[in-house]
Amino acid sequence: MHTVSRKIERLINLTIALLATKRYLTKSEIFRTVEGYEGSPETKERMFERDKDDLRTLGIVIEVGSFDPLFNDEAGYRIRSETYQLDLGEISSTEISLLSLAAKAWEGAALADAAQSAILKLNSIGVPADAVALPAISPKLSNSSEELKVITEAIAQSDFLQFSYLSSDLVVADRKVIPFALSTKSGFWYINAVDQDVQEARTFRLDRIQGSIEIKENKEEFDFPIEHGNQGLIVNSSEGVARIDVRKGKAHSLRVFALSTEDLGEWDQITVPINGVEALATQILWHGEDVFVQEPTVLREKVIAQLEALVNAHG
Amino acid sequence: MHMAKNISAPLARTSRLLDLVPFLNTHQGISLKELAERFDVSTTQMSSDLTTLWMCGLPGYTPLELMDLEFESGFVTIRNAPTLSKPRSISFDEGVALLLGLDLLAGSVEQNRQDLITAVENLKQKISKLIDIPVTISASPKSSPAIAAVLNEALAKKSYLSIQYHSLYRDEITDRIIQPLELIDDKDNQYLRAFCFTAGAMRDFRVDRVLTAQISAEKPNTVASGVATKKLQFTIAFKKPSRDVIERFGINHTESSKELLLSAFSQQWIERSVMASGESVELLEPLNIRANVARKAQLILDRYKAN
Repeated sequence: MHTVSRKIERLINLTIALLATKRYLTKSEIFRTVEGYEGSPETKERMFERDKDDLRTLGIVIEVGSFDPLFNDEAGYRIRSETYQLDLGEISSTEISLLSLAAKAWEGAALADAAQSAILKLNSIGVPADAVALPAISPKLSNSSEELKVITEAIAQSDFLQFSYLSSDLVVADRKVIPFALSTKSGFWYINAVDQDVQEARTFRLDRIQGSIEIKENKEEFDFPIEHGNQGLIVNSSEGVARIDVRKGKAHSLRVFALSTEDLGEWDQITVPINGVEALATQILWHGEDVFVQEPTVLREKVIAQLEALVNAHG
Repeated sequence: MHMAKNISAPLARTSRLLDLVPFLNTHQGISLKELAERFDVSTTQMSSDLTTLWMCGLPGYTPLELMDLEFESGFVTIRNAPTLSKPRSISFDEGVALLLGLDLLAGSVEQNRQDLITAVENLKQKISKLIDIPVTISASPKSSPAIAAVLNEALAKKSYLSIQYHSLYRDEITDRIIQPLELIDDKDNQYLRAFCFTAGAMRDFRVDRVLTAQISAEKPNTVASGVATKKLQFTIAFKKPSRDVIERFGINHTESSKELLLSAFSQQWIERSVMASGESVELLEPLNIRANVARKAQLILDRYKAN
């Protein structure tokens, strides 16, 4: 325990010394002045190399340079306060409150720890949050997993992700993709990515990934697919419009998508966009006697075929 | 861009100590207990952290160069720590967490608060620049901000609410008078636990299925108490399994070749799920629900034949 504390002290002292200096500090200056470097030259050397790695793991950028290139080629080290310190520019109390609320969305979810440590830093700026009480019903990020970290890392670096994916016909196949967007909607998480087999953008639902996700470095340049713009949301390729009758007071989950509604007395006639005939037929069947398809024919036939199968199996 | 890795315990502690200094700088006199809570460690651990920090400072390490920490009184003050006084820049994970949270917030702010919407948008730009990630990560809320505002008010004032609620299984929209008591978060959804005067019993309402909500001034009359719910068992056979079907019945894709005994709270849910699955599944039991499925499918089929 004692040696662990000594190591932590040394790391902090090194950070302070490298931050405080206006010029590069050479290794020998560091060994002479920073507390904690002891033992043979080789031991000190090893300690210093490990310490530098450790600080870099914590996200601290150590700059290497020489303070007098003409006369001295010994490398020197420093940490620039611009890279070490948080710089959000001018920030208001309201903005601090909004960021706190944003972090609160993670309570009990995958990035809760990261959100919490971000809030500690923001609270250390010295700008108090607004006294406005935060609402109890604040949005929550549900169903999130640790995989989000891997995915966002891959997005930032345009790296490959490899995983097994359950296709709509229940085949589990390996996929290799370059992700460019991540989103969540109605409790599900989606990745937009360029599938490397077909070189086309595809959407993957996170809970359909079987097992873990692996990240692989990509050394090539990656161009963002332009058609997705900078929104990166799920693109619905609409296959026209369906005209269906829905009973009054029923089929609310279909009505929310209605493009138009016409009052027919006991029934209403609505038009809804078709995002996959199969998916819409499923929704229509769920609503049973309260929904009737007028057009298109392809949807009508799909529904009729399923109803016949149901009668055959259960009659 | 440097990514945060899974770091060892000593490094996590170093990280915490570095973040402690700027926090103390802006929270002079905070109690040891509160400080420990804010950093999510025990007070013993926090005392030990402060003792370690107390030994650190600028080269020279005389009292002039060491940090001046005082915490024996149970309240913590810090002096002479200018080098570490500003908070560290945010890590990649922290930035991602804030960015997704902000995006979710943007979709939850009421439309008439354009000021807040703009502020959230500006913050998103700032954070995405800091961690060098494009703004292609996004989140949208499940429930309407206007309804959330009314539910909040009712919770805060303990008032009665008149709501329209969509019951998915019965596919009914019912009008109810409720008194909200608390908000419950489970893994996937938020629920409003309330006394429902219409049912005369406690009920949990899924927030995203509340269609309208209004504060109601009058105290409603209590009606007869509700009925207890019991789980129903049913057996299905998968004839043509698909991902859609296994997700609907909540089973693993490796089980889809078998006959399965499952359970649900509502007969209507079973009926609807089997209907929606069409040719993919066959309901074997219970026989009364099976007969219902056949009868309903025939009824709808007849209607299509007539039109």
